[in-house]
Amino acid sequence: MLISFLIWLQNLEPFSDLRSSAYVYPIVLALHLSAISLFGAMIVATDLRLLGWALRDGSIADVIGRLRWPKRIGFLLAATCGFSLFSSKAEEYYYNSFFRTKILLLVLVAVHALVFRRSVYGDPAELDRAPELPARAKVAAGLSLFLWLGILCCGRYIGYVEGRAGMHFK
Amino acid sequence: MLIENPLGISADAFPVLECLHIAGFALSIGITALVDFRLLGFGLQKQTPAQIARAFEWWTLGGLIVAVFSGLLIFSTDPDMYYLNWSFLIKMACLVLAIAFNYTIHKRALSPGLSPAAGRLVACISLALWVSVIFGGIFIAVIRPGLT
Repeated sequence: MLISFLIWLQNLEPFSDLRSSAYVYPIVLALHLSAISLFGAMIVATDLRLLGWALRDGSIADVIGRLRWPKRIGFLLAATCGFSLFSSKAEEYYYNSFFRTKILLLVLVAVHALVFRRSVYGDPAELDRAPELPARAKVAAGLSLFLWLGILCCGRYIGYVEGRAGMHFK
Repeated sequence: MLIENPLGISADAFPVLECLHIAGFALSIGITALVDFRLLGFGLQKQTPAQIARAFEWWTLGGLIVAVFSGLLIFSTDPDMYYLNWSFLIKMACLVLAIAFNYTIHKRALSPGLSPAAGRLVACISLALWVSVIFGGIFIAVIRPGLT
């Protein structure tokens, strides 16, 4: 069921064109990495502020608030490029253990967001009022850095798994 | 006598270096982009562009150092391929320009008294240079087959 969907997806015209193109594929890949740089730096900036390692003269609420939408746009950009790259070889990616790990880590990022939504990201002004940076903010920031670094490494390792025979590329 | 590159010992050496390379450049280029987007009027507007640059100064430099040294090691695995690769040469030219620009004109553009229009121009040049470095890096692998 899932496999037949993935085979259908990878043989849609834009994705099969992407798969066979000499130059569009690397351009999408380079855009993916450019978006990762931008998005990653905003993650690092937020997390360093939560850890109290940078921007300490600015409030946490301000940093989180002002980077919220730029981060969403950066993620959307990286995810759109990533989805296109995936879709061009969807069936092969499905069997790739690093791709699976990457998706698992992305799910954990969503869990992380849900877990810390109330206590950290939803009410950062509360963190600013605390006399000392609460431990939960530092835990959230540390986990976030760890997860995203893992996602980055899995992404690079996807390319080191040899392609499988018998893929249904049209 | 042929000298073996110690990186050849482990199959993981190359991909690990690549991960370090990506993490390093993502940090340094991304933080620089945060400053550039602030010059363009987006992002951390409570801080001046100079304050953002100063707050992350060592992180930016650290990322750049990690990227450059992992890059040198990657280069060492196949130097003549890289030397003959025009995408690599363009990347190096853009990199030297981008670093020189970053620590001269870009740095000066953060000081007060510069017109916003000049700041925007500097931001666009900086973004264009750093994105060119990323594109140059990706295309090294694309034109590799043509070299044999």
